Amino acid sequence: MSKQSKALLIDITKCIGCQQCSVACKAGHKQPGDPEPTLSATAFTVIEPRGEKFVRRLCMHCEDPSCASVCPVGAIVKTAQGAVRYDGSKCIGCRYCMIACPFSVPKYEWSKLAPYVTKCDMCAERVLAGKQTLCAEACPTGATTFGDREDLLMEAHKRIVENPGTYVPRIYGEKEVGGTSVFYISDVPFEQLGFIEPPMNQPMPTLSAAALGEVPTVVTIGGSLLAGLYWFTQRRREVALAQVAEQDEKERN
Amino acid sequence: MSQIMRKITLWRAISAVIFAAGLWATYLRFFAGWRAATNLSDGQPWGIWVGVATLCGVGLSAGGFAIAGAVYLLGMERYHAISRASVMIAFLGYLSVAAGYAWELGLPWNFWHPIVMWNRKSVLFEVVWCIMLYTTVLALEFSPALLEKIPHQRIRELALEWHHRILIGLVLIGVLLSSLHQSFLGGLFIIFKGKVYPLWYSNYQTTLFYLSAIPAGFAMVIIALYLCHRSLGVKLDLGILKDFSRVITPLLVIFGLFRFADLARQHAMEYLFLARSETFYFWLEMALFIVAPVVLLNLKKVRETPIGLYWASAITVMGFITHRINVSITALERATGTHYVPKWSELAVTIMLVATAVIAFRWAVLHLKIFPRVEPRTRWLAEPAEAD
Repeated sequence: MSKQSKALLIDITKCIGCQQCSVACKAGHKQPGDPEPTLSATAFTVIEPRGEKFVRRLCMHCEDPSCASVCPVGAIVKTAQGAVRYDGSKCIGCRYCMIACPFSVPKYEWSKLAPYVTKCDMCAERVLAGKQTLCAEACPTGATTFGDREDLLMEAHKRIVENPGTYVPRIYGEKEVGGTSVFYISDVPFEQLGFIEPPMNQPMPTLSAAALGEVPTVVTIGGSLLAGLYWFTQRRREVALAQVAEQDEKERN
Repeated sequence: MSQIMRKITLWRAISAVIFAAGLWATYLRFFAGWRAATNLSDGQPWGIWVGVATLCGVGLSAGGFAIAGAVYLLGMERYHAISRASVMIAFLGYLSVAAGYAWELGLPWNFWHPIVMWNRKSVLFEVVWCIMLYTTVLALEFSPALLEKIPHQRIRELALEWHHRILIGLVLIGVLLSSLHQSFLGGLFIIFKGKVYPLWYSNYQTTLFYLSAIPAGFAMVIIALYLCHRSLGVKLDLGILKDFSRVITPLLVIFGLFRFADLARQHAMEYLFLARSETFYFWLEMALFIVAPVVLLNLKKVRETPIGLYWASAITVMGFITHRINVSITALERATGTHYVPKWSELAVTIMLVATAVIAFRWAVLHLKIFPRVEPRTRWLAEPAEAD
């Protein structure tokens, strides 16, 4: 999987905020309108200006995504190509994925009567056809590059090491929530750019897994305990009845 | 007589308003869209339809499994007289939760997907399955009330005989399924780590939800039984209500102790007294759900009168609803930067669902054998005159 798994590397030092990625993304996904200020049902990627810098936001395509783990019908899956894809034909519209996403990426088509969840699909069809994502193709400065996940990670490390003093020594997305398929490198600390500090460096679904792991214990121990209590109360009743009968017998004799 | 007529007209008028508003809200939801009918947004995609209709609807139905378990598994015969009523409260509670999904789900016609499309990593998947199975169990547990109405004697006796054989198994499965999904409703929030305000985050949210549902479920049973007694002419051993209130106090104390121990364990105590709106909602929850009920139920005046128990239970239920709203809405507002207040139409739908359950409950009490038709052996000691 690792060799085939694709990713995006976003180098904040190179982004000039030209919006070409947003425009290409909207055109490719047949979404109307101009580039938008924040992620929405009609904008899978946006440029958020942060002081002098520009931060491009999109789905992080986590290695072990919360959204996929919480979906009761498995409408969201992490594909071998790296993309986290949403299948609207399975969706029931519970919107659990929207809250579960630590990066608050999935959005909802609130203005529709049959609304679907929307988010970046890492141009899955293009990638399967051997092409790169629309945003990477459109980027004029090389701020966004597309490639194999392992290669991009090495590239990110290389840039940090080869330009001492330029980059913050951190690849956002390498370890966060167990790793993602979108990496950011920056010359400004990430917290100053509005990046959230993820609650953990292990995949978030491990939190639910711990709770769900107790099901067999609850069922077996709880079940036997209840059955045992039932047997006990029945037995006690039988004994009490037998004693009464015995008493009657004695009194009669 | 004229007084009765006036009462009926008042309640009819209220019901008419509730259903008119509910139906108008329904029209908005299905034909004008989400923005017209709700204040939900990308920042707060779950509103009161999840926070109240689902979380409280299921939680307040917890009396059903607890009382059925006590009567049939633990042999507490004293409560046999109210076991069918509490099972029915739960059954109607779950049916209204299920009905509520028609409004709550974005694509309600796909509601059956979890039956065939499985994701066993999802807590919600487990919840959906437990609720489907438990509603079936409740329907079966409650079925004698309907089976008794079969006019053909042979078929009726056969059906009841068959029901009697599987009853213990049903109750046992019901207790297990309830324990699982009551907990897992809290489990839904564990993966929101980082988004949940520290006063409401816990990786033991499962335990907290379970511990809080049982006293709230008992409070709900007290309310329903009191109303049956007061307004539907049901003759009841009201000492039973007092027994339940005796259990509620220690259960609430256990919940409170666990809650604070958990906050201490997660180093969240520092948030208890910050000047923030969350602090207010936290203490409101504590006041209504723990302090007020525990204090009130310790007062002889309250504990010894049905009306006192009724109001103490009502406050407990309010506190419970506050807790569930806090976990599902208040706790997320800071991280998502969204302030959510439900639109009138969201409230109207929820109130309509509750009203439907109440009307169905009333009908069943009047037309089915929900309570045994025998004079209670012991009477309420301090029975106030206002009962008639």
